[in-house]
Amino acid sequence: MFSQFFQDALFAAIAAIGFAAISNPPKRAYLYCAIIAAIGHSTRFLLMSTPAFHLHIVLATTIASFIIGILAVLFSPLAKTPAETCLFPSLLPMIPGMYAYRAFGGLAMCIYNGGENDFSHYFYLFANNGLTCLFILLGMTIGATIPIFIFKKISFQATR
Amino acid sequence: MDTTISDIVSAKTMLPVKTQPTCRQLCLFLSEYAAWLLGCGATCIRLEKNVNRIAEAFDKHVDMCIMPRHIHLTVSSHDRHISFTAISSIRCKAISFDINTRLSRLSWEIADEKIDFTQVQHRFEVITKTPPANKWLVLFLASAANASFCRLFGGDLLAMGIVFVATLAGFYLKQILTENKVDVRIVFIICAFVSSVLGATDGLFGLGTTPGVAIGTSVLYLVPGIPFLNSFSDMLDRHYVCAFSRFMDAMILTACLSIGLCGGMFMMNVDMF
Repeated sequence: MFSQFFQDALFAAIAAIGFAAISNPPKRAYLYCAIIAAIGHSTRFLLMSTPAFHLHIVLATTIASFIIGILAVLFSPLAKTPAETCLFPSLLPMIPGMYAYRAFGGLAMCIYNGGENDFSHYFYLFANNGLTCLFILLGMTIGATIPIFIFKKISFQATR
Repeated sequence: MDTTISDIVSAKTMLPVKTQPTCRQLCLFLSEYAAWLLGCGATCIRLEKNVNRIAEAFDKHVDMCIMPRHIHLTVSSHDRHISFTAISSIRCKAISFDINTRLSRLSWEIADEKIDFTQVQHRFEVITKTPPANKWLVLFLASAANASFCRLFGGDLLAMGIVFVATLAGFYLKQILTENKVDVRIVFIICAFVSSVLGATDGLFGLGTTPGVAIGTSVLYLVPGIPFLNSFSDMLDRHYVCAFSRFMDAMILTACLSIGLCGGMFMMNVDMF
């Protein structure tokens, strides 16, 4: 369990650095993105897979995003960047990409399979994946944005 | 009354006299500033705060309408007797947190009266010429990130290697096609197709034990994460038009990704579900 937890943190950090690179952050932000993503993603892993919590992915993601939000706000004055520069790349490893394209895949299969049973099955897959994706995104953004508004003075004055 | 910009030296004191830009000058500058900030992927709340901060620093009032691809902005004098309006199309179309950061810092430098308006314009020019990150470094980091993502989804080492190669090929293709100004939707379809075909080799040659994870994660580098986050952030801030526009952009790109992936899976005879 411990090795899984640290593996999750390590690979989330690498994923955050790589996906952050696509959106051109300042060089000094990479380290902070990696630390924040590692803590956030491993927290979600802990909340979802330990028997004590065993939370649903939406709730676990919201809580992890809240922690990421707090860390991003606290680190942004150190990195001298707006809070979003540390926040958004750190959230990227939790983006529900697989749910998103599976929703579209389900939709395509609905059209491809005309029979009622097949259609219902694939429509279920479309709705299930699509709704999960939407609620994860909503939970992520709400969780990550709350700290920005709580610590408004820090988050909007970080580049001062 | 509005006067012309700085660099005027008082004949008596020989000290620089700090002057204010006219409404027209400030409006043209702010419309460009806002167009760049929105284009580089800033949220609407960030845009409003930065623009208002600059206008207040020069003792002016600003009203702004943020549209998905345009900024409509009116700057008026403090007593509202003089006003000037400008509309600008968004400038930078690639997300850049570096430009976002530097533009935000510029707004604070103005607010704290560290720099004059001519210096402001000069610094803005420099910021807009910020080169993007080294493309080879981004290519390598994005490939490593996607391979790590494969691991996070439970992929084995072989699956990670295959996803690394699939991402390397797909992302390189994306860079080439984008440089050649190919429509971004077509780019997404082609790249997702190529990456998924390469990702399917894990199952095709029976290399690893997690072929499903390899093909599923091979296209995840294309998921438009920042536009999704920006759209929900704008929605929470009640900028519904921008939120909807950004959400639709992200959805269309995800749909294109899915088309490419479905095409790749169909060709390689792999089921998605």
